[in-house]
Amino acid sequence: MLRQSLLSVCIAMVAGAQTPPKTDAGQPDLQGIWSNATITPLERPADLGGKQTFTAEEAAAYEKQAVARNNADQRGTNTEADVAGGYNNFWYDRGTKAVGTRRTSLIVDPGDGRIPALLPEAAKRAKEKREWMDEHATDFPEGRSLGERCILWTTAGPPMLPGPYNNNFQVLQTRDRVVILNEMIHDARVIPLDGSPHLSSNIRLWRGDSRGHWDGSTLVVDTTNFSDEYSFRGSDRNLHLIERFTRTSPDTLLYEFTVDDPTAFSKPWTAQIAVTKSKGPIYEYACHEGNYAMTDILSGARAAEKKNPK
Amino acid sequence: MRNLSMAAAIAGTILLLNAAPVWAHHAFAAEFDSTKPLKLHGTVTKMEWINPHAWIHIDVKNPDGTVTNWMVEGGSPNTLLRNGFTKASLPVGTEVVVDGYQAKDSTNRMNGRDITLPDGRKLFVGSAGQGAAPDEKQDK
Repeated sequence: MLRQSLLSVCIAMVAGAQTPPKTDAGQPDLQGIWSNATITPLERPADLGGKQTFTAEEAAAYEKQAVARNNADQRGTNTEADVAGGYNNFWYDRGTKAVGTRRTSLIVDPGDGRIPALLPEAAKRAKEKREWMDEHATDFPEGRSLGERCILWTTAGPPMLPGPYNNNFQVLQTRDRVVILNEMIHDARVIPLDGSPHLSSNIRLWRGDSRGHWDGSTLVVDTTNFSDEYSFRGSDRNLHLIERFTRTSPDTLLYEFTVDDPTAFSKPWTAQIAVTKSKGPIYEYACHEGNYAMTDILSGARAAEKKNPK
Repeated sequence: MRNLSMAAAIAGTILLLNAAPVWAHHAFAAEFDSTKPLKLHGTVTKMEWINPHAWIHIDVKNPDGTVTNWMVEGGSPNTLLRNGFTKASLPVGTEVVVDGYQAKDSTNRMNGRDITLPDGRKLFVGSAGQGAAPDEKQDK
């Protein structure tokens, strides 16, 4: 953790941060609309081996190729693949740039840029969950993913990661609260800064219970009490998430998070994203509003059953 | 040599990234039937700018002269707006040809795989991505 904090400070210095702007309450001002869109993947692709950072030329080549591939017609080679890949790039709003640090992965710790292995018991749980989802994929809404059910989106967080679209979040502050409004699934997270303790451990929330405090110019947000039904890359109810937000320049925010879950991962891991100012606005994404897909999926399965009774 | 191998690794990485499952709000393969490809000629009657995905309504004239209204699933409204697609992009009355797949429940819903305008412009297909207006390419 110390290494990561030092790294953050170094990045902040390189980015030219001197005195971050302050709110009326005298706190560092993180407010604004921010975008975390990037083509840099969470985990370092295996074929990049031990390469932690691109040169400027390599990053440019990587960006060029990624954008070209994303823009290519995604037509499938057969009808099944064509339906599955029925989205082309016009429907996405992905990043086009590698992260400013030119890291080859968002994960900075461990050094291999990969999520540490799940512990055997956690891997078993994840497998059982997948099998249950497969078995009940079209039986009822609960057999579909939380994203398809418009409950939460895996990249909306916490922790927040780049996704296919709606990669924007807005930070609003008062002296005692920070609100993070994430465009994806239109989630607003209200984070007390008043030193109050976490909720009782028997109260479990979809996106956990977040409490914040200031560490110098950095907002540190500590989240626990995640729902049993929430899993981030294999985490379980013991997930303890630590997020750090540091204003590194008028137009950049360094967002870091550490995933600490001793019953799921063999060790904690940390990722960093250099978030940039977004011109906005954030649009509402009222996901339930017209989620015809859920009824279509279930009614499609019922129609198939009528046609081919078991 | 080292540069060449790193270039190859980067290219390989891109391939790996693109080999990953296509990622969107929901699984199209669970909603639409790959055995029911459709090509419909119709007239736009309405566009629903709703979440999580927009829906375009078209009237399609059947061989017997009757008219059927079909719903065509599009992308996230937020993304369509950011990519330059506005209310003015597909006004009511526009004639379109829609290629896609019918819903598995055999209702009059389909995905908008390709949407072609009378002048041959294709909406959505292989477009220029970030910040681009609807694609200007001619039919292939």
